[in-house]
Amino acid sequence: MMEQSSIDLWKPVKVVKLRVYKYNPKKDFFPEWKEYEIEVSRGTTILDALLRIKEEIDPSLSFRYSCGQALCGSCAMMVNGRQMLVCRTRVLEVAHNRDFIELRPLDNFSVIRDLVGDFTPFFEKHRAVKPWIIRKDVEELENPTGEYRQTIEEYARYYQFTDCLKCGACYSACPTVATDHEYLGPQALAQAYRYMVDSRDDGLDERIAIVDSDHGCWRCHFATSCSDVCPKYVDPGQGIQLLKRLIVRRKFGFRPHKPAEVLPSKIGEVKRR
Amino acid sequence: MGEREYLEYYALNRRGVSGWFKIRGYVLERKLYLFHRITGILIVLFMLPHFYSTGWHPGLWWDALLGIIITFHVANGIRLTLLELLGIGIGKPLLVKKPFQRPVSIEGKQRYLLALTILLFLVLAIIWSYYAVLVKPLMGG
Ligand code: SF4
Ligand code: SF4
Ligand code: FES
Repeated sequence: MMEQSSIDLWKPVKVVKLRVYKYNPKKDFFPEWKEYEIEVSRGTTILDALLRIKEEIDPSLSFRYSCGQALCGSCAMMVNGRQMLVCRTRVLEVAHNRDFIELRPLDNFSVIRDLVGDFTPFFEKHRAVKPWIIRKDVEELENPTGEYRQTIEEYARYYQFTDCLKCGACYSACPTVATDHEYLGPQALAQAYRYMVDSRDDGLDERIAIVDSDHGCWRCHFATSCSDVCPKYVDPGQGIQLLKRLIVRRKFGFRPHKPAEVLPSKIGEVKRR
Repeated sequence: MGEREYLEYYALNRRGVSGWFKIRGYVLERKLYLFHRITGILIVLFMLPHFYSTGWHPGLWWDALLGIIITFHVANGIRLTLLELLGIGIGKPLLVKKPFQRPVSIEGKQRYLLALTILLFLVLAIIWSYYAVLVKPLMGG
């Protein structure tokens, strides 16, 4: 019985047409759409289908992937007009009622080739919000003598946002990014909030100066498309609204936490990094 | 568009204003975002002749339409202010995520606020249209 069902999983059940965006900005004047017909089984992901096309039909097709298991965030693209990780999405899941699916590079990312977008501005914005722990006592950070104390409640404040893959789906879906290319974007802003409420961090005011700017968090008007498409349920839309609330409260003198104290190490000398 | 602009348009792949209108398949909040933008722009357009002569108004049915545009922008504006500045109904970050849980900011209490907003908009819009189309002409306005 068991064997039967695992065989079923790989039995081709349907022929699906993949309409794929083909474009090389260095050479082509216009992008063109290519159609590939491929037999899929219940378990075939879109990434599997693309790999098969590359191996068997068109070796020139370009796309990006790495882990194949929704962990690296390389393979996000537009599937039937919506941002998805193709390694995690099965073909039949999106093609249930029709016999074709449409693949495009992510919106709002410039095209390098075919389905591959250029993430440079996106990563620059992430870097701009200083996504690392900032401490006033630099000496302790560089040469730790112990560990920072953190309760489970303090951990719960930011845990959700640490799941971000930097896949760019939220950035691509945001209608504000569509018209304001300087806008920091949901990913960077959610990460800014993640570090601002981390009890080990001391860089609240430093980051407020960055996100409370012309192209910062006040450009967001809660379209929540970012949370809608996020494949890891990071909920950047929530992070941004909490970030705004934090900034408003900060204007009244509120501080979310005192920087965590250091618990001296009991295991003797901590290994130097 | 020249050759260079054409290339840039496709290579940069930017959605521009058409990105606002890309609402199919996304959540309701995104549709409100679009309406908020459009009504905001229309209100600014109305402001121009209105500043020139503050007594100016477009007349009967157009008045009703103007009222609907403004009441939507106001009702939704109240909702956005509450959400963004006070974080009402936005929920807390999760510590344990069940697999395939919809985001709290979309499915949470915030949706009640959204329903209230739409209700407030409908009530205000109906009262205003009634006044603009039926009552005001009777009073010779
Ligand atoms: S917040 Fe979600 S959608 Fe945005 S980059 Fe991170 S994982 Fe991707
Ligand atoms: S909630 Fe803000 S950041 Fe997210 S899609 Fe909407 S406007 Fe963009
Ligand atoms: S290939 Fe790594 S997330 Fe899809």
